Amino acid sequence: MNPLVIEKVFKQYGEKTAVNGLSFEVAQGEIYGLLGANGAGKTTTMRMVLGLILPDAGSIRYRGKPYSTEQLSMMGYLPEERGMYPKVKVSDQILYLAQLRGMSRRDADANLKRWLERFQVPEYYNKKVEELSKGNQQKIQFIAAVIHKPSILIMDEAFSGLDPVNVELLKSTVKELRDDGASIVFSTHRMEHVEELCRNITIMHKSNPVLQGPIRDIKSRFPREKVVLGTERDIPGLERISGVVSANRTERGYDLLVSRKEAAQDILKHAMAQGPVERFELLEPTLNEIFIKTVGESHE
Amino acid sequence: MNSMRTVIAFTMRNKLRSKSFIITTIILGILLVVGANVPYFIDKLTGPGSAAKVGYIASEQGEIIKGLEQQFGQAEEQKVQLVPVEATGSDADKAAALQQAIEDGKIKGYLTFTENKEVGFPDVVYHSKKMLDTDTAGALQTGLQFVKTEQAVRDAKLTAEQFAKLTAPVKLDTVQIADGSAGGKTEAEQGTAIGLTYAILILLFMSVMITGQLIATEITAEKSSRVMEIIVTSVAPLKQMFGKVIGTFLVGLAQLVVLVGAALINLTLPHNKGALEKYGIDLSSVDPKMIIFAIVMYLLGYFLYAMLFAAIGSLVSRTEDLSQTSMPVTMLSLAGFYIAIYGLTNPESSFITVCSFIPFFSPFILFLRIGLADPAWWEIVLSVGILIASVLVIGWLAAKIYRVGVLMYGKKPSFKEVFKAMKAYKV
Repeated sequence: MNPLVIEKVFKQYGEKTAVNGLSFEVAQGEIYGLLGANGAGKTTTMRMVLGLILPDAGSIRYRGKPYSTEQLSMMGYLPEERGMYPKVKVSDQILYLAQLRGMSRRDADANLKRWLERFQVPEYYNKKVEELSKGNQQKIQFIAAVIHKPSILIMDEAFSGLDPVNVELLKSTVKELRDDGASIVFSTHRMEHVEELCRNITIMHKSNPVLQGPIRDIKSRFPREKVVLGTERDIPGLERISGVVSANRTERGYDLLVSRKEAAQDILKHAMAQGPVERFELLEPTLNEIFIKTVGESHE
Repeated sequence: MNSMRTVIAFTMRNKLRSKSFIITTIILGILLVVGANVPYFIDKLTGPGSAAKVGYIASEQGEIIKGLEQQFGQAEEQKVQLVPVEATGSDADKAAALQQAIEDGKIKGYLTFTENKEVGFPDVVYHSKKMLDTDTAGALQTGLQFVKTEQAVRDAKLTAEQFAKLTAPVKLDTVQIADGSAGGKTEAEQGTAIGLTYAILILLFMSVMITGQLIATEITAEKSSRVMEIIVTSVAPLKQMFGKVIGTFLVGLAQLVVLVGAALINLTLPHNKGALEKYGIDLSSVDPKMIIFAIVMYLLGYFLYAMLFAAIGSLVSRTEDLSQTSMPVTMLSLAGFYIAIYGLTNPESSFITVCSFIPFFSPFILFLRIGLADPAWWEIVLSVGILIASVLVIGWLAAKIYRVGVLMYGKKPSFKEVFKAMKAYKV
């Protein structure tokens, strides 16, 4: 049985339904992507997983067991709205949070020092949080979420507000945690991160799960309709090939949209007849496109 | 239990380390130490040598001056010292000479006499640069009255014995009657009781309010900095709330012990003891029952208000909104305090008796009654019982509000919204 199983959970706030019949499972050593526009119900779902609020119906099971306060020590949480005690030293508050989750002060201290080394900021141990830059506060926040080696980690907007270098740093850390066997639920608006990290995803829209499954399957459900053609010369007549919706000249060739897959081969033939082709690719849709299509379409 | 201890330790450590806490404690400590020594210093300053020097024209009213001097000489502490000023000539010349003496710093003021045939005693004017010099004027008035009486009595040809009888002061002592027992509180004990009740009331009120506000502020700060989200996913909210309340309580208690200790040590210093006795305060006459009830009332009052403040703190998202939201609770405690202050002079009134059973007032008012009136034991038991019951009810309610409040952001929720959230969260 998977460490985290969410089964048909419903949550209603007064008249408004926040989560409508959501189910998913997260395996050991998996990062699960929870996607959706703002207000789609991601945070409510995460709060239910964390036990902050109870679902009206459905169940959430942790290693086969229902929620109890004992589960708290195996869960880590990186909230969307970041926050630490601004006037308390980094070491004091991280150790406090670790102790609250059942760690001994000594173990927590050793872990904290290791993490600070890892992020190349050992000098922050005795600094107050308000003295740190925003990006570095994020690092501390991240350490607070993982210091106790949680087996279930919830990350809301995991990499927001970080520069590219720190995004890479945290991303590789998250991958390591995954490889160590953690089950991670992850939400973000950066689709390229999801494509890189997640095996399975759920896209939520207005409280409903609208797309679910392995990213590869989801992508195969959407037609390949983008063709990239790399050539230095002008190739007239591309628009006239049947099945081509549009053709745009770019610096290095053409971007084309096709309505059927077979049209791509006709494009290649047409281009090769006119000269050498440096690059040809029939692209699968990006998650970004799928997301916009799914969420955008059901808007209308 | 373990995580609650962690919360308590964290709360205490942060508080004890914070600059504002340390500075407040030091300032309050200094104020108390100074305050404890004030009676002594007042005594010192008004002691011998500080008698006001009052001038008069050496050649005038010899008899009255002699009488006055005799009178002032007899007093325990001389308030007025008469200084003769040599001057002759017209009234204007004399006035000028007296003025000159003031300028020279020889005297603070002077007396002039105008004959008053009707009374047979001159009208006296005390000229002084100081405004409202009531102390000196009072002493002069008493002295002159005595001199006049003496003159009149002498004219009536009374014997010295008769005269002594006539002027001996009336002795009036008041003793408070206690229920069922013969020995009540003597005047000194009553004075001590009122003083002590007043002091402890202020202490109770201040520490309950200050620590209560502190708890609310900290909880709101945790909420507005969003660290709350991590906290509530790490530890059961109840443990966190009670941990915070208990932690702050211990810090407040430590502060109180330091401050009261500083004041007590200073008050019992030998030089202060005499000064206090003069004001009718004798610390050794304090009823131990009062101290015990002061502690009980402090405990119950603290927890009652602290939990209310915790619930309020959990509802507010921004520290700016806190004082407004906590206003009703602040008013409640203020009302309790002022009713108690009113009760200092009317401890037996039925209004006070009724108020001593109302839970939010009783920490102050029951204590007042125990200190100054003599409530029946069943009244004390009933009042304390009601108070304990309300602490439990408020604690339970505060815990529920806290549980949902810490997750509610945005504008301050109404009662209806809180109630709805409780249902939604199933707490």
